[in-house]
Amino acid sequence: MKIVMIGGGPGGLGAAGAAKGTDPSAETVIYTQFEDVAYSPCGIPFVHGKEIDSFDRLFLATKEQYVQAGIDVHYETTVESIDLKNKKIHVRSEGDVSYDRLILCSGWKYKELDIPGQDLDGIYRVKNIRSAMEWDKFLDNVKTAVVVECGPIAVEMVSAMVHRGIKTTVVDPNPWPMSEAVDPDIMEPVRKDWEEAGVDLRWGERVTAFRGDKTLTHVETTSGVVDADIAILGTPKVPNNDLAKAAGIKIGSTGGIIIDSRGRTSDPDVFAAGDCAEIVHGITNVPLQGLSGSHAYAQGKVAGVNAAGGERIYQPVHIPWGMLAGEWMIGGISFGETSASAVGINYICGQTTGITRARYYPGVKPITVKLLVDPKSRRLVGAQMVGGEGVKERADFLGVVSRAGLTIDALASMENVYSPAIGALNEPIAIAAQDAVMKLDGKV
Amino acid sequence: MIAMSFPQWIRSNSEHYLMCDAQDRMAKKMGFNPPNRPRGLKERFWRQLFVPIYRLMPWSMKKTVMQSLPGSHRKSWPRRFFRSPGS
Repeated sequence: MKIVMIGGGPGGLGAAGAAKGTDPSAETVIYTQFEDVAYSPCGIPFVHGKEIDSFDRLFLATKEQYVQAGIDVHYETTVESIDLKNKKIHVRSEGDVSYDRLILCSGWKYKELDIPGQDLDGIYRVKNIRSAMEWDKFLDNVKTAVVVECGPIAVEMVSAMVHRGIKTTVVDPNPWPMSEAVDPDIMEPVRKDWEEAGVDLRWGERVTAFRGDKTLTHVETTSGVVDADIAILGTPKVPNNDLAKAAGIKIGSTGGIIIDSRGRTSDPDVFAAGDCAEIVHGITNVPLQGLSGSHAYAQGKVAGVNAAGGERIYQPVHIPWGMLAGEWMIGGISFGETSASAVGINYICGQTTGITRARYYPGVKPITVKLLVDPKSRRLVGAQMVGGEGVKERADFLGVVSRAGLTIDALASMENVYSPAIGALNEPIAIAAQDAVMKLDGKV
Repeated sequence: MIAMSFPQWIRSNSEHYLMCDAQDRMAKKMGFNPPNRPRGLKERFWRQLFVPIYRLMPWSMKKTVMQSLPGSHRKSWPRRFFRSPGS
């Protein structure tokens, strides 16, 4: 059996490895337009910010390791079309290539802005590691940067620019950073830190043009002009699936490829995984697109197993997420107050600000936990957190709580680890849950 | 670049303007910077007509509308993990 993957990101690599593991005799071929696979693009902002000393550290495996694993990776190749009827893809410079099963892992791209000047030098879309290496040298001579819209990668890039001592301006038509996913009170400590670091924050303002002679010198906005040696795009991620659309694969309302829980698309021999596909949310049963690399990798494994003749199911998601935002960690699961309110989900919010270690132990940090609870079922519909540490583990835990359908009462009486160096006597999740229970029971 | 389908258009617009409205209410409640006021015919239609109508709809009707769009949710997924609000 020949299984072909289009895309060498976490979805494609997960799919290839799982397909090979399921059927070691399968021929597994990956086509990627880039020079490398198996690196962590999410680490790029941290190399720019000098927290990580070299791009080399972002590589997870060598090209030889894939050869030894029997995975045939075709680098710097572009797939131009898919012929579903004859089960072939057309690869530039290789011609027609047949497949028995095809797995689409073509990932995402930045939503393009419809403004002039986009072909100027100096406009940076953080994604590819080789390009990031060149941009890193460019950043050595940059004095002024503008971050255009403040999505998750842009949040990390703002911190990177601050660490490099580059005068940075954020121009975003939205009212606060990551405003489509995160509540304003959760982002407030981050926003304050940026302000104190001298970042010029322009919320509610839109970039209308990139200007310069061949190279960017400034951007025009709805309220004026900002000098900039570099513009970093932080627009939302959109699915990169023009190839699938042109082939006639069905697309959902998110713009992502429609798949079932086995990763199968509208064509029985074609699977999809990662950011090019849409996944069902475990609370609303509404499809979503553009989750994390860990989701893409796990989806890739599911698609790879099933494409190779095995059986694996991907579960609806409750989206535990977390990231570093300046000196803070932010994270949560599913909905925040803003997104729940937008969809029209009724909720009660239990909230507390606690500490991550014993109050006397060196390095203790504050952490704010908000739990959103459905008043009728008393189950979680979401959570958001901001703190100095311990956000990731709590988000993972709450993701399982949400998926298992535990009630807020179970969380309010949860047992917790107490050890001065790693956990406080009172677990902030339990205290936030107790606050929610009091509100649900009408005692507040 | 291939143009977006009608379901994509309706979802992206409704999501965006429902989010603007929620950000506005959240900003007022918590004392933060609100989003820009609606400008132009398109923004006014979505913010001042669509959003109030959507908000008046009961959850069951909102859910029916959302489920009627094409997407992965209409394929086979394990049902036992769905935790619909209010259920």
